[in-house]
Parts: sequence; structure tokens; C-alpha cells
Amino acid sequence: MTTKLLKTLLLFLVLIFAQNARSQEIQSPDLKFNKIKGVRFMPYLYYRGLPFLSNEWQSGKIEFTTGEIADSLNLVYSSFKDELIYYNKTLSAQIMIDKASLNGFWLTEKNGTTHQFRKQYYNGFSEGDHFFEVLSSGETDLLVYRKVELNTSILYKDEKGALKNMAYDPSYQYYFYSPKKGYTFVRLNKNSLLSKFNKQNQKPIKKLLRKNSISVNGEENFVRAWKIIEKEGFKVLFQEDSPQTQKKQL
Amino acid sequence: MKKQIILLLLLIVAVTTTKAQKNSGFNFYSDRDVYISGETMLAKVYTPLDNPSRIVYLDLVNPHGIRITGISLQVKENQADGFLELPDSLSSGTYLIRAYQKNTEGKLKTIREVWISNRFDEMGKAGHLNRLDGLEKINDRLTDQIDIEDIASEYRINSAITSQIKIEKSLLNEIDGNLLVSIAQIEPSFVGSSFKWTSDHGKEGWTEDKGIILSGTITDKKTSVPLTGATVYLTIPDSIPGFQYYVTRTDGRFYFLLNNYFGPIEAFIQCYSTSQTQRPKIKMDELFAPPGTSPKFTQQPIPEEFKKSIARNIDAITFQKIFAQDKFRTLNLKKEKQNLYPYYGEPTKTVNPQLFIDLPNFNEISKELLSGVKFRNYNNEPTLQVINSATRLFFEEKPLLLIDGIPVNDLNVIKNMGTKDIARIDICQNERFYGNLRFPGVVAIYSTKADYSILHESDQLIHLKLEAFQLPVALAEPSIPEPSIPDLRQVIYWNPSTIPSESFGVKCYTSTVTGTFKLVIRGRLKDGTIIFSEKQFEVK
Repeated sequence: MTTKLLKTLLLFLVLIFAQNARSQEIQSPDLKFNKIKGVRFMPYLYYRGLPFLSNEWQSGKIEFTTGEIADSLNLVYSSFKDELIYYNKTLSAQIMIDKASLNGFWLTEKNGTTHQFRKQYYNGFSEGDHFFEVLSSGETDLLVYRKVELNTSILYKDEKGALKNMAYDPSYQYYFYSPKKGYTFVRLNKNSLLSKFNKQNQKPIKKLLRKNSISVNGEENFVRAWKIIEKEGFKVLFQEDSPQTQKKQL
Repeated sequence: MKKQIILLLLLIVAVTTTKAQKNSGFNFYSDRDVYISGETMLAKVYTPLDNPSRIVYLDLVNPHGIRITGISLQVKENQADGFLELPDSLSSGTYLIRAYQKNTEGKLKTIREVWISNRFDEMGKAGHLNRLDGLEKINDRLTDQIDIEDIASEYRINSAITSQIKIEKSLLNEIDGNLLVSIAQIEPSFVGSSFKWTSDHGKEGWTEDKGIILSGTITDKKTSVPLTGATVYLTIPDSIPGFQYYVTRTDGRFYFLLNNYFGPIEAFIQCYSTSQTQRPKIKMDELFAPPGTSPKFTQQPIPEEFKKSIARNIDAITFQKIFAQDKFRTLNLKKEKQNLYPYYGEPTKTVNPQLFIDLPNFNEISKELLSGVKFRNYNNEPTLQVINSATRLFFEEKPLLLIDGIPVNDLNVIKNMGTKDIARIDICQNERFYGNLRFPGVVAIYSTKADYSILHESDQLIHLKLEAFQLPVALAEPSIPEPSIPDLRQVIYWNPSTIPSESFGVKCYTSTVTGTFKLVIRGRLKDGTIIFSEKQFEVK
């Protein structure tokens, strides 16, 4: 008798919950559709070196200027032309995404490391919108413009035996960036890093780096060094902070 | 004994469920209950607390439930406010304002009865007042925890009203969202009420949690079978045209989202099938809730005082129209980031034919002005090709041809377009992609008239005139340039977004309209109960 009653109760509860779930709402239909705008990618001429950031498609996502995100894309960043290319599986086409439609993108390596690229206006040499990789983000960002240039090189024969004298050479440019103060160029060495701080701070920074056993060589160590310096509250000197600029302004 | 316990449990569950459904807190309020055709109704809607939909529809319907006009309002924190223009041509009588959200339109609507008199016909053929009957009335709770201070029983015309509103702290903590504070003339012989309208069982729509959803089905005209893989375009013509596409699945259904559009918009829906043997046909879903079962009315005689009041109101409204006394002003809206260039890409070149000599047709225009565009009209069979700037060869396929942003398949449409018809031509001389669509070059013609008369509706093209989100408005301040011009406002204060606080002031001026006015404060509690406090006064 008790079992029967319990069964009735259970059935009643199930019915009520089912009705509630049904009456809750009818979910929105799938309204996500592919909005990526671009032109067909025309392959570059073959020379020694790599015009792309990686030699294979990477999984990634993009952010449109409207703030919308499209993910699970096969992407490759063309360091040579500062453009983002994606592979459209439906059309079997390599498409160069309109830079004007993007705010930035993220690339994920096979090991899971993600690289964030942000479109920013650069007012120095080669003025315009560029994709900068964000190495460190904070009050002052550490950015890198992963530029690859096509330069003349010593003569060499390519895989097909053709004689060539051009090569793709990486020419990465590192910057400290503050939205208020702009960009300041920095090289990946200790002297250049120290020169970005005022003289009173240089000694404590040297001490800090020694204490943390960081020798500033290479990108990885440079980023590590900057993160430790930033954590201690040292501020980067931008051009407008320099005494000469201040004098000029006066 | 056990049986009794179980029955008691069932009863508790049933009561709890019923209670939760009853306290949805869905109601809406208008500035007044009696209007003249051509006037504007101000409205505030409290939407159900458990409904995630971002849109609430407010429709003016006749007593048979047929929709006459309506608006869609953006819901923020389960509340929305806006205005409804009452058409000039309405005949005198009782009308209904219905509020609903698409995902619960079959189950739950709130309706409010209003009286509208024709501006040119006073009471017209109306011999009695129709009042709603037999529906569940929504009763708000009068509270004494909101104190309206400093309101006199009588005011003179054009005099200042300053009132202090005090809310008890215990109530303040219970209030959900903003308050509606209004001061408007009332008509004692017609006090409108709100009712729950649950009698009709229409099909439920989508949860519009991101914006307005347009949906429909593509079928084969011959077989009426839903078409799979048909591409449906939605174009919203503008200086930068809006564009979306949808590829139908086995059910032939398509959906579009309108989330960044305001005010009246025109939309074009087109469909293309992958197979030439199929004849696709677009069938749009109903944009608004169906009429449902007509509610019942009881008839009441029209009091003489009501007739006199209507006559006075008609004079006032006619005067306001003549002197263009605006009821409200549009608020500045923080616009979301929009696309900076059209979906077909930044044009390689833009040509304005009006800057050159007059050319009679598109053939001449393409030859003389559009380098890299080949338009030929041999044997009345026009062809169009665009050069690919990357390869310096003409694409073999027809480019994407747009007129005022709307894709056009038939080249005959443009062959007679001359200089006088074309304001601008955008050309993209590359292989463009938009999602999974490929365009071998683009020729976008913007016409001088921009009236879309060149495009004819068919099974594959539907032209819709829609009301997107309404722009937010506020009641206009009285601006009477000369003292001899009377101020004929019947609503002297309307703030649907008053932030509740322990004490706040209401300041306004009476107009030259005399009669009974009422200050009302409404709010919703967290449990869905609508509370109000009111005070009446005379303006003499």
C-alpha cells in the first residue's frame, strides 16, 4: 500500500516538474552564424624563412569590433602582412579576415598556451592599425609587434633548385604601452629595460632582478623580469615623462 | 495516516505551484484611461519576474482582439516603458491595450481597457460604454507605507506643485526596480482596469532574450515540402545596410535576430535554393500574437459629464496639434558599436555618376565610369562581370549585385538605371567572403530615390515594415513661448524610472487644463505584488 502511494507521489512530482520545465520557456533558436568578412588569401611567393607566426593552422578565436566572439576557428597570423587568415571548412578556402572588422584574436598552441593579439593604432613609423601580441597586461602593457620583413639575402637555391636572393626575416618590435601615454620602444636586453626607468629606480631594479636570479635575455626572461618589476610598483618612463619633453612642453 | 500525509504533501506542492504562477507581477499602466485619436499614450510595463525575454509587446487591439498598432519595448530589469501613438482614424469606443512576451503569448497576456474618441467625430456611433467583463482583474495593493506629502486639495492653473514622497524603510527593501510616478487628469466616469487574458491558447513563440526574432519557413511552392539548404537573406537597407543569412535545415526553418535596431525599419527577406528545379517560397511566422478568443463586454450608458469632458479634450488635443506642443522628447541613447563598413566589404572604389555627364543607362555608366566592371546587354540578356584586382582577370561568375543594399538576381532591374537614378556605386574588385557566402566581386548601387520600388515582392522576396526597439523618451518640459497660448497638458508629470529612496521630491507645474488630477506612485515588490499610493486634487 505504502509503495503504491509513494509511486503515486513520485509520479505526481515528476508531472509537476515536467510541466514546470515545459512552462519555463522555449529556448531561443541557434542564431549564431558565421559573420566573418574577408577576401581570399593569395599565397606569398616562396622564399627562405617563414612569413607566418607558425607553420601550421592554430585553433583560435576572434573578437569583432561589435564585441561578438567567434571561436573554434583555424587561424594563422601572417607576420609578413600583419593580417589574420582563417580556414573556412565549408568553402575550403583560406580567407584573409578584414582587419577593420576585428578588435583582436587569440591563438592557442598545441600545448595549450594561448597568445592574445590586440588591434591597436600605432602612431610611429608605419602608422596605422596593427596586431600586437600582449605579453603582459596591466597599467602598462608589454606588447610585441611580430613583424616579418622580406629582405635581400645571400644567394641560395630553394627546394626546387631556383636561385633566390630574398628571405623572410623576423623583426620583432617590443613596446611598453600605456593607453594614456602611448608607446615606448624597448629591446630585449637589460640595459634597454633599465633605461625605461628613472635613475633612482635603476639600482633597486637591478637588485630585484639579481634577487630573483633573472638574466634579461630572450623574450621569456624579459617578460618575467617586467612582471616582477611591475609587481614592485616601478613605473615605466614614457617619452612625455622624460625631463627633456617636459622642458619642451614648458 | 500515511495516505493523509501524502495527500497533504501533494496539496502543499499544488498550492505552492499555483501561488508562484499567480504572483508573476505582470502588469502595465498608461498615463490615462481616456484618449482622443491621434494622441500619444505613455506606458509602463512590469514584465513577469521569471521571464528571461528582453522584449515586451504592447498592442492596441479592437474589442475583437484584432491588432491595430503596437510597439516593442526593451525590457531592463523586468521593466519597460514607452509610448504608443494612437492612430487618427480610430472610431470612438472602448479599445484594449495588450501586453505580452512572445514566449508566453499563448498563456499570459495583460490587457487594459481604454476609451478612445475620434478627434473629428466626438462620440461617433458609440451609444454606450463597453466595459470588460468575465476576466480575472489584476488588483494592485494600496499601501500606506508610501506617504505623499504636501499635496493640497486644490491648485490654480499654471501653478507649481511640490510634493515630498516618503517610503518606509521596511517597504523600500522589498521594492524591486524603479517606481512609476505620474500626475495626470482623470476621468471619474471611465476608470480603466487591467485583466489577465489567459483564455486563448495560441502557439508559444521564442524566448527573445537577445532581441526581436524574425522566423519563418521555406517550402517548395510545388510540393509544399520544407526546403533543406535554402539560403535566406535578411537585408535592412541603411547607409550601411544590415545583412544576415541563414541556411535552412531539414525543417526548412530560418531565424534572424534584430538586436541593434531602433524605431521603424524596413526589412527584406529573400531566399535562394541550391536546386534550379525547386521553387522556394517564404512563409513568415506571425509577427504578433493572434487575436485569440474575444473577451466579453458589458454595456453601460454614457454619462453626460463624460461627453462634455470628451468634447473639451478634443479641443485641447486639436490645439496642441496646431501649436505642435510635443508630449515627450527622445532621450539620447548610448549606441552599441555598429559595423563601420558594409557586410560586402570596404569598396575598392566608389563612383558618384552625378559628378559626370548624364548617361542614359547602366550600360553607358559601366563603359564610361566603372573601370573593371563589364555590363553588357546583348540580345536583351544582360551580363555583369567584375575584375579581380589580385589576378587582373575578370571573374567568370556574376558578382553580388545590390540595390540600396538589397541583393538582386535579375540584371534587367538595373539595365535602365541612368545617372539620374543612381546616387553612388560601390565596387569591390576582389573575391569577398561573408561567413559561408562567396561573392566574386560586388557592385552595390545606391539609388537616388531609395524607395525600393524597383524591387517587387514575390514568393522569394518579402518586404516587411517593422517596429524595432522603441527609442527611450521622457515627458517634454512645457515650453510655451507666449503667455496667450494655453498649456493644455493633461499629463503634468510622468517618470517611469524613479529610483526608490526613503524620501524624494516631485516638482511640476499645472497646465491650463482644469479638472480632477491624481498623483500615483506605483512599484513592484520582490514577490511580484504591485503596490500603489495615490492622492487626488482639483485644478481650478
